[in-house]
Amino acid sequence: MKRPGWLDIIRIAVLTAAFVFVLFPIAWVALASFKTPTQMSEPFLLMFSPTGENWRAVLESGIFAAAGRSALVGVLTVSISLVVGSMGAYAIAKYRAGGSLTRFGMLAAQVVPPAVMVFPFLTMAHALRMTDTLVPVIFAHLSFVLPLVTWFLIGFFEAVPSSLEEQARVDGFSRWQAFRLVVLPQVYPGIGAAAIFGFTLSWNDLFYGLILAPGNAAILPVAISNFNTFRGVQIGAMSAAIMIAIVPVVVASFFIQRRLVQGISGGAVKY
Amino acid sequence: MNFKYGMLTPLLALFGVAVGFPLCYAVYLSVTDYRLTDREPPGFVGAANFVSALSNPAFWEAFTTTAIYVVIAVCGELVIGFALALALHQQRWAKDLSRAIVLAPMFITPIAVGLIFRFLLNDQIGAVPALLHAVGANYDFFGSGRALLTLAFIDIWQWTPFMVLLILAGLESMPKQPMEAARVDGAGPVYRLRRVLIPMLAPVLTVAVLLRGLDALRVFEYVYATTRGGPGTETQTLQYFMYLEGIQFFRLAQASAMAFIVLVLVLAVIVIAFRTIERNKA
Repeated sequence: MKRPGWLDIIRIAVLTAAFVFVLFPIAWVALASFKTPTQMSEPFLLMFSPTGENWRAVLESGIFAAAGRSALVGVLTVSISLVVGSMGAYAIAKYRAGGSLTRFGMLAAQVVPPAVMVFPFLTMAHALRMTDTLVPVIFAHLSFVLPLVTWFLIGFFEAVPSSLEEQARVDGFSRWQAFRLVVLPQVYPGIGAAAIFGFTLSWNDLFYGLILAPGNAAILPVAISNFNTFRGVQIGAMSAAIMIAIVPVVVASFFIQRRLVQGISGGAVKY
Repeated sequence: MNFKYGMLTPLLALFGVAVGFPLCYAVYLSVTDYRLTDREPPGFVGAANFVSALSNPAFWEAFTTTAIYVVIAVCGELVIGFALALALHQQRWAKDLSRAIVLAPMFITPIAVGLIFRFLLNDQIGAVPALLHAVGANYDFFGSGRALLTLAFIDIWQWTPFMVLLILAGLESMPKQPMEAARVDGAGPVYRLRRVLIPMLAPVLTVAVLLRGLDALRVFEYVYATTRGGPGTETQTLQYFMYLEGIQFFRLAQASAMAFIVLVLVLAVIVIAFRTIERNKA
């Protein structure tokens, strides 16, 4: 074990500062979710008798139903994107299908501002009488999850040596079997990373949800933002709602970060 | 070769429905006088919406505001993210936990992040101003001339982890020999960083900055949660401005025209940036 040098000391200091920086706002909100409105005006009140009132108000507001809808939208969007995207990405990576135009299209789709896309979705939802349902939200989320997932997967498929697939073909596999049973398992880490990424994008979106389903089918970000507008601001209840949105993902981030780093280093960042 | 197109067709079909169709519809909307409250079919007005958007000073103000925001946020994230990725790369003790903590903010829904900072930085009830008051300082985070900076800071809090993630992935997949060789040859840490590490990471850094920049351009949640465009119109970013035009004021056609102008300008910047990169490579 070598003696820590000055570089290590800087390194630890930087990391410690980052920890405080990240954790302080979250801890403050956690504390605020147990405070009464009067206690709220004293930011550094640490010892107080916690109230469960905020949490009760939030649970009654149907926040879990909203979280469920967000999860449903995320899972459906990601599943569809992965199935369709992996097939397409494979064709693009191995057979140069669609030329560079398709590949560029996937990236260019990232550039389109959501403000362009949202109004067509809204008018279509009006025409099909599907306003305030999850259907337009899922299509809207597909518009940004599908291109990004596909773009990531193209990189992963390119990293798979084509000799693997040729060997499978020699062994009597059909093209589809070679893809499904030989090539696809090679990119599972990448698919995992792309799935996490796509789900995060969908789970985080407020803009489409706010415009396409502001009422009964509100997804979680919309439900949270509603604490900011209705009947003034209920900071306590809003803090509890924010905690409900934060806790599952922060716990999940502990388990998925390694998969994410490994997955992305497998090819997505090589363009 | 049927297999190749069989594999591609579902992607193209879904892409057409989810991206192509709305895009074409938006083109159509942008040349009409459609309003959200209209009952009768919209009339054709040609380029009128584009002309009025281009000559609208508020649109250009939102454009400048967004550009400043993106530059500050992405530069901050790149520098801090690079430092943190290097620090985490060598962290052995509690490796998973430290990585999870540093990466956590990017998994939190942005509206929640915006609301947290709205109250954390609030003059009356926020902890940070209270802390500043305690040492005799006074700083209004959402005051004139500062609000945009505060928004960029929120962006940095949430999205530096994204830079860390990509740079860390780049560091992990990088061969170790060049750095070792440089060290054996007696190169100092600064030289190794500038002449070995950064050139080797250049492709990753480019992708990270590109993806971050494109995403920061669509900033909406932080504005919606904190300033709602104020004080005055100081923090009206493009996305928020178009939201106001289209949804609050029902001018869908004009908002669509603005969105296309933004799209064309952004694509132009990207093409120029890539041309420059290619030329520097050659």
